[in-house]
Amino acid sequence: MYEKTVTITAPHGIHTRPAALLVKEAKQFLCDVIVECQGKQASAKSLFKLQTLGLYHGSHVRIFAHGQQAEQAVDRIAELLMTLS
Amino acid sequence: MEMKGIAVSSGIAQGKAVLFEPFDNSLDYRLLPLSSIPAEQAKASRAVAQLCQQLRNSLLSLEAGSANYQLVEADLLLLDDAELISQLHRSINTLQLSAGAAVQRVFYHQASEMEALDDPYLARRAQDVLSLSKRLIATINGAGGERLQQLQEDSILLSEDLTPAEFALLPLNHIKGIVLKTGGITSHTAILARAAGIPALLSCNFDAAAISNGTELFLDGYQGKLYAQPDAKELATLQKQLADDQQRRNALARYRDIPCVTQDGHSLTLLANVGNLNDIARLPQSGAEGIGLFRTEFMLMDAVSMPDEKEQFSLYCEALQLIKGKCLTIRTLDVGADKEFSCINQLLAEDNPALGVRGLRYTLRHKDVLHTQLRAVLRAAAFGQVRLMFPMVCQPEELDELFAEIEICRQQLLLEQKPFAEPEYGIVVETPAAVVNLSTMLPRLSFVSIGTNDLAQYTLAADRGNPQLTASYPAFCPAVLQLIAQTLNTAKAAGVTTSLCGELASDPRIAPLLMGMGFDELSANAAALPEIKAAICEGKFSEFVELAQKALQCQRISELESLLSGCQI
Repeated sequence: MYEKTVTITAPHGIHTRPAALLVKEAKQFLCDVIVECQGKQASAKSLFKLQTLGLYHGSHVRIFAHGQQAEQAVDRIAELLMTLS
Repeated sequence: MEMKGIAVSSGIAQGKAVLFEPFDNSLDYRLLPLSSIPAEQAKASRAVAQLCQQLRNSLLSLEAGSANYQLVEADLLLLDDAELISQLHRSINTLQLSAGAAVQRVFYHQASEMEALDDPYLARRAQDVLSLSKRLIATINGAGGERLQQLQEDSILLSEDLTPAEFALLPLNHIKGIVLKTGGITSHTAILARAAGIPALLSCNFDAAAISNGTELFLDGYQGKLYAQPDAKELATLQKQLADDQQRRNALARYRDIPCVTQDGHSLTLLANVGNLNDIARLPQSGAEGIGLFRTEFMLMDAVSMPDEKEQFSLYCEALQLIKGKCLTIRTLDVGADKEFSCINQLLAEDNPALGVRGLRYTLRHKDVLHTQLRAVLRAAAFGQVRLMFPMVCQPEELDELFAEIEICRQQLLLEQKPFAEPEYGIVVETPAAVVNLSTMLPRLSFVSIGTNDLAQYTLAADRGNPQLTASYPAFCPAVLQLIAQTLNTAKAAGVTTSLCGELASDPRIAPLLMGMGFDELSANAAALPEIKAAICEGKFSEFVELAQKALQCQRISELESLLSGCQI
């Protein structure tokens, strides 16, 4: 398993549009990527689940994945979580 | 027949009524026979696929990357989700729900989880999820309703509600106005209507007018009114308004998106005075670079009780969201016996309410009210550029007390581990005492904003509401002008940003003069901004400085008046 922890810097958090971008990116990878925030987990490939996490400004988020492309996927999603706004 | 609504996008429109086909959102709540479960699951999957296809089609006609495109794309991603399908199938299977009822259950659960989030902006997106669920249920029921594409003439669309996705499908070349029964100014539809420059009226119950397809309508997006079948006289007035509006808009529109810079290259920050979210939502039309005065008293209108911290926090965040990174200057509650609100009691009758417990004097005496607002503002400051200013500050003792209270709130928030940030602090200079005491207070302030209405009233000892006095004691008079100059010089010497938010700034003849005096920014009524900007962009800073110098030498009101009219700025 490969994992990373990041902090959301987007002033309004990861709301609908940035979350949608995130999902689009996550779907490019073979493995599933799990995003965990305040005890709740969701697949980065599911906008439906992702929206309920409350990825708001200042939250600490753990991202992890197993299997094929796990490292690449986690790095990419972590980067997006830190830069999207 | 005349109806009222909330104007969320201004302008005047004329056209024939088009009633948006309401979607069939009916649900079958009967328990599903076990044998029908697989068929019902297939039906749900089919509807999701069908709606996805519709959304994909509508993406084709949209400009990639535009706001509409991204919203439709977000809806699409939400639907094209294996997790959603599996949740729907599970609900149908385990609870024996019909496909429609399963959609409602899953989406409502989703929306309530989103609403529970601690972030007002994210929580609000729950509405988008509910709108999408209605559309999905309608698809299950087999109602598409896209006859709008065949519109040939100028029309005004009437509907119960309109989702961003539906908005994206509207033939905007023929839709001149939008009237909805539901909705508020921050709904996506309102934002999209404003961006598209289409007058829109929300929360307007048009049932009473018995409007049918083709009824002649007139929409006044300034007054928030809808006229159905206006008579000849009304029509003449409205059409004149429409023509005037068009002409005025065309003349001033070119100033809206250009920077406020004089011919000789000096720039001024033009901000807007606002009293509610509705004003804020309409700001992009005025070209304001931010908000220079957000009067928070309006929260108290029609309120039964004082809005709590969560309510205020979410209000300020919403305001920040609406102005997209621009500066929001919040003025704390300016209440007193002269402004009565039913939710505020404990106000003693005063002989002289304007000289009584009002503004900061009131809030310092009612710590619960002050703390609630301070905490909400501190928390909102984590989400954008917030400035906080206090009304009726006269002397440094008040600031001592105030900053001690701010420290208390800061400690509480730290302890509760709630995210917050430090806003910039300022005062409204509106009493002669504040002008005189200014240098003592400046070290604690990042900005000052002169409130000319009250400064004039207190300087001239003339009640600004007394009609016998207003003509003889105008705010634009030598005495007030000297105090303004003194404030400006003191503040600028200390390197503190100086703004002016009173009515004087809203006068396009006076604003250039104020710029010439040396103000960094002016804050005026949104409606006055285009004219002010035009006056500044057409003139030279060197002329404004000259004008200001002349004005400061005027010893009589009449001299000032002739100076203004003589220059014809």
